[in-house]
Amino acid sequence: MDITASNPAARANRRAATGELSRGFGSRERYGYLFLAPWFIGFFGLSVGPMIWSFYLSFTNFDLLTDPKWVGASNYIRMFTTDPKFMTSMRVTLFFVVLSVPLKLIAALTVALLLNRGMKGLPIYRALFYLPSLLGASVAIAILWRQIFAGNGLVNKFLALFGIAGPSWISNPSYSLWTLIILSVWQFGSPMIIFLAGLRQIPADVYEAASLDGAGRWRQFIKITLPLLSPVVFFNAIIQTIEAFKNFTPAFIISGGTGNPINSTLFYTLYLYQEAFGFFRMGYASALAWVLLALVAIFTAFAFLTAKYWVHYD
Amino acid sequence: MNGQIDRRHFLKATSALLAMGAMGSRMAFAEGSNLRLIFWGSQTRAQVTNAAADLYGKREGGSIQSEFLSWNDYWPKLATQTAGGNAPDVLQMDYRYIVEYAARQAIAPLDEFIGNALNLGQFDKDQLAGGSVGGKLYGISLGANSCATMINTDAFKEAGIAVPTNTLTYDSLRDIGAAFKKANIRGGIRAIADTSGLEPVLENWLRQRGKALYTADGKLAFDANDIVQWFKLWTDLREAGICVTAEDQALDTGSLETSMLVTGKAAMFPANSNQLVALQALVKDKLALCGYPRVAATTGGGHYRKPAMLFSVAGSSKQKAAAAKFISFFVSDPDAAKLLGTERGIPCSAAAREAIASTLNENSRMALDFVTNLGDLLGPIPPSPPKAAGEIELSVLRTLSQEVAFGTKTPENAGPEFVALANDLLSRG
Repeated sequence: MDITASNPAARANRRAATGELSRGFGSRERYGYLFLAPWFIGFFGLSVGPMIWSFYLSFTNFDLLTDPKWVGASNYIRMFTTDPKFMTSMRVTLFFVVLSVPLKLIAALTVALLLNRGMKGLPIYRALFYLPSLLGASVAIAILWRQIFAGNGLVNKFLALFGIAGPSWISNPSYSLWTLIILSVWQFGSPMIIFLAGLRQIPADVYEAASLDGAGRWRQFIKITLPLLSPVVFFNAIIQTIEAFKNFTPAFIISGGTGNPINSTLFYTLYLYQEAFGFFRMGYASALAWVLLALVAIFTAFAFLTAKYWVHYD
Repeated sequence: MNGQIDRRHFLKATSALLAMGAMGSRMAFAEGSNLRLIFWGSQTRAQVTNAAADLYGKREGGSIQSEFLSWNDYWPKLATQTAGGNAPDVLQMDYRYIVEYAARQAIAPLDEFIGNALNLGQFDKDQLAGGSVGGKLYGISLGANSCATMINTDAFKEAGIAVPTNTLTYDSLRDIGAAFKKANIRGGIRAIADTSGLEPVLENWLRQRGKALYTADGKLAFDANDIVQWFKLWTDLREAGICVTAEDQALDTGSLETSMLVTGKAAMFPANSNQLVALQALVKDKLALCGYPRVAATTGGGHYRKPAMLFSVAGSSKQKAAAAKFISFFVSDPDAAKLLGTERGIPCSAAAREAIASTLNENSRMALDFVTNLGDLLGPIPPSPPKAAGEIELSVLRTLSQEVAFGTKTPENAGPEFVALANDLLSRG
């Protein structure tokens, strides 16, 4: 690290030396905003503006070809009263979130603990375990998954070695969602890296003291590792939950955009996409999007409210 | 990319701009018009289409910039471009959407160009009617087709079963299915795909029973009992092992590549006559085609000749006359016809048909013979379907057919539910 840069006295000196050139803060700030301008334009033009527009659209019927027609809250009313696919997609998504997020975090933490024991070739293993996270959301992996879990796919060929005739996992409504949960858990790489970094921050002397006091491995994990790691667990849980709500590509590719069989993989985002780009109901799709935003906000708020009971920052 | 512009991106962007500038200047010097064209289809279609477009460019000057997508990606893209006011000049249109686009002036009426830019001298009358909305011509048919059952003739020969013809009925289908079961070839290939969730097959069956899918004013033209009978028919076929299992059928996500015919699970597959060419490119076995099954040996009238697809001119186009001229070339020029073949269906202009007659390969000839010799299978063309038809097929028919196939619903429950859900979508508009 550059010592002068982090030293306040040195920085003050430098500012004094260049003060004559820059003539006070005004022009410096102007340059600052100038350099920030591309970001501001992007943020307001591509994020905030469209969000406001979509909020307006959620109270209209809009089919892209004709002007939006104001319909009040009827999109939201339909959603919660008469739309069977809304309920189905909500159920599918919640089931996916509730199962895939804990399973993924457990997998990530387990592997992080194993890797943290200081083995040879750690960077290689770390990279290998991280690889699925890089590939996971891609179209190619979703197609591969389709092959692995199809009727004559890899999984059933393996099961056949033991004389078990497996079903076509991907096209059977009882199992299809599970194949997507497994796909998501398999991509535990990025939470694992964060866990690994968190584990490195826990001082070794705490463990030494504990083992002197006669605490076994499991006790050390429960009493030391988990509490000290809890901010990292908290962070990972929130990020992964939001990611799980947004899950789209694998379901889209594996079911060909239909959410079938029998809507068993009709994720909320997939339903939203169908309404918007399949059936051109931009108004209804906007309303769906805002309900999703509210849902994610509620989940996150709940996590933050309960955090004081289980997240320890010191 | 996270909002940062590094040197490489900057260079890329700059050179792209320079390249665009260079292209623009070249175009500016070219004579004639520069048209944009968009269509859906396979790689095969893109090759023949671009060859015809190049020929037009060479002959008339100017250029055609074309873009093609899959069916599923095409409609969102076209709707977005139309909403943004920059739809391509010439766009491929489907019978399903033409009323909607015409009603919103997203496509232009072409009547004023007939006789000058648009030469429709010997053009099939029924195909012109298929492209008309409210008495005005909004789309030019690129080919006629009809629904047709695709047959894997090699599988039939291997099993020692006679290849079916237009006399195929739902009863004779049972005998064929039993024979396939007995022969047990190719890992237990079944006679036919499970098409209880496919709209054209249901429509064909309804029409043979004197009904239809939709009335002219966009209401359901059948009742819950029809659907109960329909699902019962397929439940019987499924339980007897005539059609494929529910699990296998669910692997078909709607593309030709995942169809039961291409994946080798079934020897027959109800599709469209013009798809024979595309399907033959995907399988090694020799394909043939015949009509959809009849409900009784002497009952016909389920099939109809419809525009497989049409070309329309965007309402926002600034070169409508030039666009019409290109379409005229595309559908009636003998040289263009030779390049295009029957990939989009049977050409509707007599001149184009004459030009390709000697150059057709076996598959194209088979498709042409089938569509021209439908005989008593042929009935009148139904009115263009209501807006919600696509959604009813995907969200109601497909889902309920799977629920019945997997046994989570009985046909008796699925019938009334179909009518209730479909009516809800129709009233939603």
